[in-house]
Amino acid sequence: MHHLVVDEWTRRPGWLQRLDPRAKLIVLLAFLVCVGTFRKLTVAAVLALGGLVAAGVILGKLPARGVAARALLVAPFAGPLAVASALSGQTGQAISLLMRALLSAAAVVVIVGATPMPRLLRGMEWLGAPRFFVLIVQFLYRYLFLLSEQAQHMRLAALSRGIGSRHAGIRRVLWRAAGGAIGVLFVRSHARAAAIHRAMLARGFRGSLVPLEELRMRLADWVFLLAGITLSAAIRLGVRSGS
Amino acid sequence: MHIPDGLLSPAIWAGAYAVSAAAIGIAARQAQRSAQESHLPLLGVMGAFVFAAQMVNFPLGFGTSGHLVGSVLLAVTLGPPAAMVVMTAVLLVQALVFQDGGLLALGANVFNMAVAGLLAGYLPWALWGRSRLRWIALAAGGFLSVAVSGALAMAELALSGVRIAPVLAWAAAGLFAINGAIEGLLTVAIVRALAVLQTRTAEASATARRVTAALGIAALSLATGAVAMASQSPDALDSLVERTGIAGRVRAWVATPLAEYRLAWAPDSWWGQALAGLAGLALIYPLAVALARAFRKRRSA
Repeated sequence: MHHLVVDEWTRRPGWLQRLDPRAKLIVLLAFLVCVGTFRKLTVAAVLALGGLVAAGVILGKLPARGVAARALLVAPFAGPLAVASALSGQTGQAISLLMRALLSAAAVVVIVGATPMPRLLRGMEWLGAPRFFVLIVQFLYRYLFLLSEQAQHMRLAALSRGIGSRHAGIRRVLWRAAGGAIGVLFVRSHARAAAIHRAMLARGFRGSLVPLEELRMRLADWVFLLAGITLSAAIRLGVRSGS
Repeated sequence: MHIPDGLLSPAIWAGAYAVSAAAIGIAARQAQRSAQESHLPLLGVMGAFVFAAQMVNFPLGFGTSGHLVGSVLLAVTLGPPAAMVVMTAVLLVQALVFQDGGLLALGANVFNMAVAGLLAGYLPWALWGRSRLRWIALAAGGFLSVAVSGALAMAELALSGVRIAPVLAWAAAGLFAINGAIEGLLTVAIVRALAVLQTRTAEASATARRVTAALGIAALSLATGAVAMASQSPDALDSLVERTGIAGRVRAWVATPLAEYRLAWAPDSWWGQALAGLAGLALIYPLAVALARAFRKRRSA
């Protein structure tokens, strides 16, 4: 069974990993709001904001390349908008737009990479996300890899039966086969959910999962919270010329 | 179509968050009411199914392939309220783990895809899902879901002051049209396969169908209106604010790039933006907490 690299990152022995998820989420929001309110980023602002992200990478012992690669996933969306903006003569705007998207994505990668999903979701619940919804996301994340693997197996099975050949005549058949594959996946997922539900009821599930440890804000969490908010605000206030 | 962070203005993302939180809250309640079909694991596992289904590639010819988005498929099989909740969960995981869409932009993405897109996509099925035209309705629904979410995303970006050149707008429209057609065909192929596998689609009561149809029409007109407004002029939101007479203070909140240029010396504009963001948060927060409370009460009852 495969996992995401991000899951491995969250188990690294970094300082950022040990912090309270609530502190991390609040700092992340402060950073995102700070980045989002810059219309035109100056070089100084980009360096300062990038410095904060880099600090997060170091504190979480995260791979800088991996974080950058994941942040670049926003490029297909932000890229064309930036290019269009640059072509209409607003190069500054275009670069700002791209940097805002990249810095925001990098910040999300750092925090998600340093916080296991269940803890992150507990933080969100504490911040006010409905528990019903948080539980659904928990289940989604738990079975995501299982079902994806099932889909991969079905794909492999199809390929081994010669489905991969690009013969024009069989395209219609392929289309049906792919539709059928997803249909089967749907039925299996549905049945699996029912089985999971019965098993959970049998084990005494009553509508909520019991966390094994309480969330506690320690000194380090407060330091991180205050430092994160102060630095984000300071950068926004300090680099006034670019606003 | 997943808008990343850093592109939307605070007024837009905060407003979208408020609307989406309310819509999903209501949808979650509705979904819980039809208890059997929507127990917790089912909604979570069906979200995982959407991810897995997106890994199955469909051959499109010309050496390319496409994959499913899935909102109409879920709406038809689980019913629109449950589908809205599942799609929201999918979008959250995509934003957190796959960098597909931003965290502040999540409200907007949820509104575009899980609320308006889904409702508009369900509209043809709600109207003609039981007639002979059902497969055509389903294909049209898939198309509408993608087209409406795409149009809303572009409109939100334009209203946030992102310059969208006409060329880019046409290219995006073409892309949405192609993706929409693919989504429609895929949804038909899968629901046909489900019929062969003898899975029932969600049966909605006449009232529920009428309500969702009305919401679908509302979503459709909203998308049309938003595109019209955004394409009219880059100042559309400004002029709207002025016309409705709440100019003055609000004007500073809705920061368009042109306003920025005029007030280049003033930090007001970004203070205004930050204030709008905070006001948005102040609006969302109690709403979310109240929703959470309501759910807790329901369960203990």
